Amino acid sequence: MTATVPTITPSVDSHTLRRWGPLAGLAAGAVVLQVVFGASENFPARWDTTFAAPIDDAGNWLRANRQTHPVFTGFFTPLRTVVDAIINAFTDILLWLPWYAVLALAAAVPARVRMYRAAATIVGALLYTGLIGFWEETMQTLALMSTAVFLAVLIGLPLGVIAAFRPGFEAALRPVLDVMQTVPAFIYFLPLFMLFSIGNVPGTVATLIYALPPVVRLTTLGIQSVPESAVQASEMYGATPRQTLFKVQLPMAIPSIITGLSQTIMMALGVVVLATLVGAKGLGSPVLQSLNQRRTGRGIAAGLAIMAVAMVLDRMWKSAAERDPLKRHDRRTLLGVLGAILVAITIGRFASVDTFPEVADWTLFDPVDDGVVWIRDNLRWVTRTFNDTLVTYAFLPARDLLSTTLAWPVVVFVTGWACWRVKGLGFAAFSAASLLFIGLIGLWDEAISTLVSVLIASALALAIAIPVGIWAGRRPKVEAFISPILDGLQTIPSLVYIIPVVIFFTVGVVPGIVATILYAMVPGVRITALGIKEVSTESLEASRTFGATPRQTLLGVRIPLAAPTIMAGVNQVIMMSLAMVIIAGLVGGGGLGFQTVVVLKDSEFGLGFEVGAALVLMAMILDRFTEAAADKMQPHRSAT
Amino acid sequence: MSNDADRPVCLEAKGVWKVFGAKTDAAIQMSNAGSTRAEVLKATGCTIGVKDVSLQVQRGETFVVMGLSGSGKSTLVRCIAQLTDSTLGNVLLDGEDLTAMDSSSLREVRRQKLSMVFQHFGLFPHRTVIDNAAYGLEVQKVPKSQRLERARDVLSEVGLQGYELHYPGQLSGGMQQRVGLARALTVDPEILFFDEPFSALDPLIRRDMQDQLLDLQQRLQRTIVFITHDFAEAIKLGDRIAIMKDGVFDQVGTASELITEPATDYVREFTEDIPKTKVLTAADVMSAPTDTAMSGTVHASDTIESLLPVLLKHGEPVGVVDASGQTVGIVNRAAVADLLAGAQ
Ligand SMILES: Nc1ncnc2c1ncn2[C@@H]1O[C@H](COP(=O)(O)OP(=O)(O)OP(=O)(O)O)[C@@H](O)[C@H]1O
Ligand SMILES: [Mg+2]
Repeated sequence: MTATVPTITPSVDSHTLRRWGPLAGLAAGAVVLQVVFGASENFPARWDTTFAAPIDDAGNWLRANRQTHPVFTGFFTPLRTVVDAIINAFTDILLWLPWYAVLALAAAVPARVRMYRAAATIVGALLYTGLIGFWEETMQTLALMSTAVFLAVLIGLPLGVIAAFRPGFEAALRPVLDVMQTVPAFIYFLPLFMLFSIGNVPGTVATLIYALPPVVRLTTLGIQSVPESAVQASEMYGATPRQTLFKVQLPMAIPSIITGLSQTIMMALGVVVLATLVGAKGLGSPVLQSLNQRRTGRGIAAGLAIMAVAMVLDRMWKSAAERDPLKRHDRRTLLGVLGAILVAITIGRFASVDTFPEVADWTLFDPVDDGVVWIRDNLRWVTRTFNDTLVTYAFLPARDLLSTTLAWPVVVFVTGWACWRVKGLGFAAFSAASLLFIGLIGLWDEAISTLVSVLIASALALAIAIPVGIWAGRRPKVEAFISPILDGLQTIPSLVYIIPVVIFFTVGVVPGIVATILYAMVPGVRITALGIKEVSTESLEASRTFGATPRQTLLGVRIPLAAPTIMAGVNQVIMMSLAMVIIAGLVGGGGLGFQTVVVLKDSEFGLGFEVGAALVLMAMILDRFTEAAADKMQPHRSAT
Repeated sequence: MSNDADRPVCLEAKGVWKVFGAKTDAAIQMSNAGSTRAEVLKATGCTIGVKDVSLQVQRGETFVVMGLSGSGKSTLVRCIAQLTDSTLGNVLLDGEDLTAMDSSSLREVRRQKLSMVFQHFGLFPHRTVIDNAAYGLEVQKVPKSQRLERARDVLSEVGLQGYELHYPGQLSGGMQQRVGLARALTVDPEILFFDEPFSALDPLIRRDMQDQLLDLQQRLQRTIVFITHDFAEAIKLGDRIAIMKDGVFDQVGTASELITEPATDYVREFTEDIPKTKVLTAADVMSAPTDTAMSGTVHASDTIESLLPVLLKHGEPVGVVDASGQTVGIVNRAAVADLLAGAQ
């Protein structure tokens, strides 16, 4: 382009330099490093400075001293006892109550404020779990999740409030929350397991850790987005800061906090299944059991039950926060209903009709298995071809390229370069150091393998999600149709996805990748549709006024304007892929996921710590990178 | 609108400055040395919001601050109300220095004496209309039945009876601002601040609200500091008007003083479009009483517009009497004609 411009001014030169300089630097650096280090093919094993041993020692020490040391007798054990007691008491009450009383009480929460649809949803969801034979497990999970969510609010709300008023505190808290959320829940289990031993508690605490960040974040956000004029009005009437907080800021933040809680419940869901691995009771066991038996139908039955619990909790929270006095029923009606329920409970207890009648059980879903088996047997040529193609033409070449063909310094250098381009030198240094660290603890190959799986799964998920999202974003009818499906898909625990996929593809990398694609696609579709929909009608009409075809409008206006939002979707897809790929280790996905399984099975504390650290670092690099890339796409940035 | 010069001063600002930015000292120095706002901004990165403003508001007076967007009106009223700290200067309320108070005494003063109505209403969307109106009493811990009763009275005074249990979001803009007004009046404040309260309303509703405010003021005689960018509104409501530009007061005076003796070209520009006969009063055109028989009387505060028919019908001169009925001057046609001619 510059060649056709006759006047060659210094500014053109510097422009060219700015544009091509970094690329040239990248190429030169990569080539030099490849030539120098190309001969040594892997990350040198002799550098392997594992720090597993001291941590293993610490783990053994923990195990040996659990009964005696004051840290345990004075802190962890009492904590465990209390949390355990809460969950057990809650479970006992729920199971002591006749089943219909649980239904009525849960439905009464939304019905109290005339949210009858929500009440119907709750009744339907609970009926389902009873009919399918999971009443007891459902009550256990309900108790565990409510306790975790309750604790998350108890701890998260004050933290969020403090963060809203103390920028320093928020700045310190943010990276901690980031890490808490980016680390796959799996990683928490081992240390928690060591601290609290087997039972409900490690699962609850893991759920709590996962569920805390959204509450804190959205409380802070909610308080900060209260309009200044409302706060000043309160001040102007002589309210103390406390009064302003409790009468104005917190109530006005409630919608935001509710959103946080909904997210929290979603987060908690995924963990519930995994919590079974460390001894929690509830709906996780049937899911794992069906995974072991390779029974897709039963897995779906149990997955739907977990989804039902999520729906029940979600609707109850939302309606509990409804404050409009006009919608509330008067006290007499409420007392009447409550009285009726009490009478019903008494009668039920005396007549012993308290357990859910055994109408059916999860074998109801067994026909699904026949379908799955049919597909497996008759579409083997499809799955086989897909499997082989993916392994031979994508996974293996990419993995070999990164772990053997290219010398490791090249990988570090190129990663650092890319991070520098999107965010700056600090981030580049962090990424390079992280990769180096992963190499040094001897997890280079596993990390590469995981990375390749994540990237392939993300790319394929996006290849499906973005077009579908664009389609849905432009056609409200399509969106209305797929939106509930997406809701459902997102609530089903990730493990459930794995069951049919394993049946189709047996074991190996591919089932993990396929399950990941299915699971990670959902947020991609959703956010893309949102971005496309958000483009202002004015911009679209402006484009149409100039006589643009729908295609031109889509490519020239809609997609570019939606790009930053879509990029946020890319971020989510990648993060979910990472979490899922780890879980896929259960079915032989290899990589760090496999290590995680080893860690949990053999209680390898030191290795667990290393794998955890490697995953956290990878998650942080991927997260920051995509976030920065999304930021760069913001129009106001690129304009300046 | 009354204009007794000898009412006690209730609210006073002395040399108030507000500078946004880090290098406030340098900015103030530059500004004092005569640099413009833009120059100060360029050199120090500081915005001069308010520059050395002093004012005195008498008890029961409506003091209007009028200026275009960005002139610093909001910043000034927030400094006076202590919603932001002024960079320099003092604000005295009944002789007490608000700028020197700790936060709990300031809170006490606010509870006892101050109220504010905001441009964008600043209502609490999660509270019903009546709970919004009762907010000031609620933070003072007035018992519920008592504060709701008071709020209900004030709401019906501003024409909102029947809407007590609605939420602000269910009301029109005009009604929302009535809630804002009711909230301010419920605490029975000595001083009311209004920051462009009616700017967001459409013209008809705005006029309605202005009339209502005048009506209330007639009965309650509060001290009011009223911010507006609309000169017509300033004239309609204000006993005295300050014209603000680039953070300073160009001129402070009654509407007729601004019209008859504009201190700067800037002030003149504002006053030019104003129909003088609606603003100037008999007091502005009268001359000393003579012995000539008077053919009728008007009040000193009557506008020219309303005295013209008297003058034309009864012949000149027309006597001018003050509030107590004492003759204070006469008006003849020549004086009015001169004034109108000068206005063209
Ligand atoms: N928090 C702030 N930080 C920096 N500058 C500010 C801040 N608040 C106001 N300013 C500046 O001070 C000047 C006066 O602002 P102010 O809001 O007082 O104007 P105004 O007369 O109320 O205008 P309007 O009629 O638009 O409300 C403006 O130049 C504005 O940019
Ligand atoms: Mg303003």
